[in-house]
Amino acid sequence: MTVPLTVLVAVAALALAGWAGWFVAKDRAVILRQLFGAAVVEGLLVVQGVVAGVLLATGTTTGSPGLFWGYVLASLVILPFAALLAFAERTRWSSVVLLAAAITIVFLQLRLVQVWQT
Amino acid sequence: MPPVPGETRSGPGRLLVGVYGVLALAATARAGYQLATHGSEAPLAYALSLFAGVVYVVATVALWRGGAWRPVAWAACSVELVGVLAVGTASLVDPDAFPDATVWSGFGQGYGYVPLVLPFVGLWWLWHTRPAPVARDTQEDA
Repeated sequence: MTVPLTVLVAVAALALAGWAGWFVAKDRAVILRQLFGAAVVEGLLVVQGVVAGVLLATGTTTGSPGLFWGYVLASLVILPFAALLAFAERTRWSSVVLLAAAITIVFLQLRLVQVWQT
Repeated sequence: MPPVPGETRSGPGRLLVGVYGVLALAATARAGYQLATHGSEAPLAYALSLFAGVVYVVATVALWRGGAWRPVAWAACSVELVGVLAVGTASLVDPDAFPDATVWSGFGQGYGYVPLVLPFVGLWWLWHTRPAPVARDTQEDA
């Protein structure tokens, strides 16, 4: 797995988490601009998936590809899921949901690197 | 906090449903994958993980629906609590029975102890959002 890309995704997700955390502290609901931010992170995740797919297709090997793709898919569904919940809940709790989702992405990135290297 | 008595999905319930959803996905998918690819290595552990995953799916749906689904949510959260405590203890007392980790091993260690905390939060939330004991026409639709 390309480590710089993973670091980029993790940093972007951390920034999103910080933004959401700031809104939790200010007792505000998620705003549309944050969802655009989440879309950027999602875009990076898609790029990551494509890069991994190309690497695996061109001879790079990884210990457990099934597990790896499981984590890729899981990380792809987290943010859209959080966005849906954020639309449905117009209180600070939508910001808590986005915060939790962004932290989950960071955690999944760590696991992704571990799984790739096994 | 919840606008409607018996309502379980608004406010903090969003987060609860969200975390349950993620755990449901993670546990079910992972256990399904483990059973499918190397199930014979640790059948008990993987079957328990799959069971835990299914219970999380049920809890997610029930907490989302609320209303008539509340008893289902109570049952699911209770099963989780018993499961994580029983399997957590068993995994420490008799590690040989679990060649590979389950969701509930070491009290949910592999998942940042979320499986241990979640049933407590879920049960508290169900108690917190319980409908008023007096008979009222507050039946909400999910």
